[in-house]
Amino acid sequence: MFKQLIIKKDSRWLGIWLLGILAAGIWDNLFLNKPALRQVAAGFVNTFSIALLVVIFTLLLAWGVTLALHFLDAGKNKAPYLLLTFLLNLIRSIPQIVGILFGYVAVSVLVQAGFLRSEAVIFPLLAFCISLFVFIEFVDLMRERIAHYQKLDFYNAMRVCGIPEGRVINFDILWKNSRIHILNKLISVFGAAIFLQCSVDFIISVGLSTDVNSVTLPATMGSLLAKIDSKQDILAIGYALTHPGYVGNLFFEHLLGLSVAFLIVFSLMSIYHIANGYAERHRL
Amino acid sequence: MSAATYSVHIRSGARTIVSTENYQVFQDEITFLFGESGIGKSMISKAVYGLLDPDELDVTVNAGPYASYLDGEPARQMRANSFFVFQEPSSHLNSLLKISDQLREGSLRLSTDEDAILGRLWQDSGAQAIRRLLDVFPKPYRPSGGEKQRVLLAMAFKKIDVLLRSVGAGAPSFFVFDEPTGSLDNRYRNLFLELLFEKYSLRPFTVMIITHDYSVISELYAKYGRLLPRIHLKELRRGEGTHVEVVDFSAQEYLSWLSAGIRRPPASGGPVLELGARFSVFGRQLCLYKDPAHSQPADLVIRKGEMAYVKAPSGVGKTTLAKAIMGLYPAQRLTMTLCGMRITEKTRAKVWDAEIWGKKAGMVFQHADESLNLAASVKETFAGLPLAEKLTPARLASALAELFENAVTDSFLRKKVAMLSGGQKQRLNLLRTIVLGTDLLILDEPLNGLDFLSVKKVLAILDAKRGQGSALLMISHNEEIFDHFVDKENVYYLAEVADENRSAE
Repeated sequence: MFKQLIIKKDSRWLGIWLLGILAAGIWDNLFLNKPALRQVAAGFVNTFSIALLVVIFTLLLAWGVTLALHFLDAGKNKAPYLLLTFLLNLIRSIPQIVGILFGYVAVSVLVQAGFLRSEAVIFPLLAFCISLFVFIEFVDLMRERIAHYQKLDFYNAMRVCGIPEGRVINFDILWKNSRIHILNKLISVFGAAIFLQCSVDFIISVGLSTDVNSVTLPATMGSLLAKIDSKQDILAIGYALTHPGYVGNLFFEHLLGLSVAFLIVFSLMSIYHIANGYAERHRL
Repeated sequence: MSAATYSVHIRSGARTIVSTENYQVFQDEITFLFGESGIGKSMISKAVYGLLDPDELDVTVNAGPYASYLDGEPARQMRANSFFVFQEPSSHLNSLLKISDQLREGSLRLSTDEDAILGRLWQDSGAQAIRRLLDVFPKPYRPSGGEKQRVLLAMAFKKIDVLLRSVGAGAPSFFVFDEPTGSLDNRYRNLFLELLFEKYSLRPFTVMIITHDYSVISELYAKYGRLLPRIHLKELRRGEGTHVEVVDFSAQEYLSWLSAGIRRPPASGGPVLELGARFSVFGRQLCLYKDPAHSQPADLVIRKGEMAYVKAPSGVGKTTLAKAIMGLYPAQRLTMTLCGMRITEKTRAKVWDAEIWGKKAGMVFQHADESLNLAASVKETFAGLPLAEKLTPARLASALAELFENAVTDSFLRKKVAMLSGGQKQRLNLLRTIVLGTDLLILDEPLNGLDFLSVKKVLAILDAKRGQGSALLMISHNEEIFDHFVDKENVYYLAEVADENRSAE
């Protein structure tokens, strides 16, 4: 069984990722000061929790919108279909990073105004902001899958047997014949959510006014990276490149920035390989 | 008679795809190998011929490794004087090479009989049409499937010609024709058989014909009686799991079953379907006739308990007719009454969804592979059907047992459809519609890929449905069987006709 896991690229990279995170955790536990360790742990958990919520929201949003488009398109009244398509195209026209940035700003304003206090509300809202700008490509994938099967006898053969259209679309096409494609896309969305979240958090923490800052939002990997300590740690990497004798110090004296950067880059690389391996294994 | 018996095991990883202990090749004789689709006829034949890739599949022939078998002198000699006509003509032909060049590739250029062979296989087309065809680069849509198939047959005949002219008697040969007439109507199939037996009569060579076309038996018995001692009819039958065995096929059993037929007294119930003789779909004007000469246009009327049979050459529009009745193709002109419901070209599409599909009428599509959800299990195939009574596991097992015998176990019900053989898929495809118990049942090529046993069972089940009052509309190229099972007055001929409006202009 272990051999099988190693042979499969996606399983192999999942193992490498988890082991890498475990190794970083052990190292930080041994050599990172406790307040910084707590920050890294909180940033890591928050980032990945939000990314997981993004995946869930993206799936629900995409599935719902796909069904809505399908049934509105089949209906006689085309106005709702055209309106929904227009809205989707409107979202599509906004660059993802810009859309999410404004979403984050809006959430920060609400937090500062005291409307949002609990992380149980803030996390889903942040995740929803990201989902709103990544779910459309998911809708495209699902619509393509449905269109592909509608061209085959598969769809008509089931419909003339009286099988309801909802079942053919949801169960036979999307669940039975597209779930591998969907899961593969979800893995990519998970990676994209981490990347977008870190980017936006970093931008917010570094480049915006003091009214809207990382203090108002939960700590994430992006906001941790934007801290002055982390930035100095990252600069130390550049210094070590020209002064190789300093490399050893990085792992003991610059752990905060190094850990955060490692967790982001290593996770993104691992998720990329997991998604690729999964696609190769299932010949997508 | 000398026969070589091969033991063949084909595996992919840990999974056995197919295995047999008694694949027989009768030297210098002709074997017809029947059996349901997907049971392994082509794969085993390819293994013996030497076409499988030892790097992709784990193959053993006569308990020895495949690489050794391929390199062995007997197999090399056999391949040198042989030809394999593949089932799918499109994948056999090279789209980057003109057909004329492909006909002269390799040892085929040694044949001097090309013109005569092409002349025979394109008997009515004339030299000019053949020349035009030879100048074509094959594409998915041209030449037609039937023409591509005849090109492959022409290649095989050229190779036979080379064998007869240049190779000494007694040299091993192995000409495999895998579904050689799948895209041909009976006329061209008979031309193929005529030419094959003519060549064979000059000097015997080894032939293996893989086919589902049982009507070839009647042709053999009617015209080639003198060759029957040199012809073997065999069938590949499923054994335990993936094991298959070659058994004798009884021509007499088939012929007597055919002549017995199933005749029911004329139906007395009211009409289930009445379709106007003329209809138009995709801008094509089509017309139904009562006679093969197309002189008497006739409305298609099927009463309760009746089976109607629509005949037409391939490509005329039989499936189009079925799909127009089922509302899947929008018709420009159509008048029909289905179970008392008046339907025209103006009827809205949602009427079929709300009132017809699965309730008044059901249709079996011709390609089971495309019609079924291959990722679903056997049990899931029946989920969602609008049945009057809930399909309990016991009822489902009993329905399946009609066509699957004792194979209906829990593990079979959980099996993915993709893992079934072609014949099993077709039986599942049929049963999914039959269990609906609709008043009208349209069956497009219902016998596709079935072995003789299943053909008999399917026809018995359909007859039982007639007994229960269902009206059946049959579309099939298997004319011999349906000519015996459908009353002459219920046979219709479909043809494309000139546009009346344009003609008037």
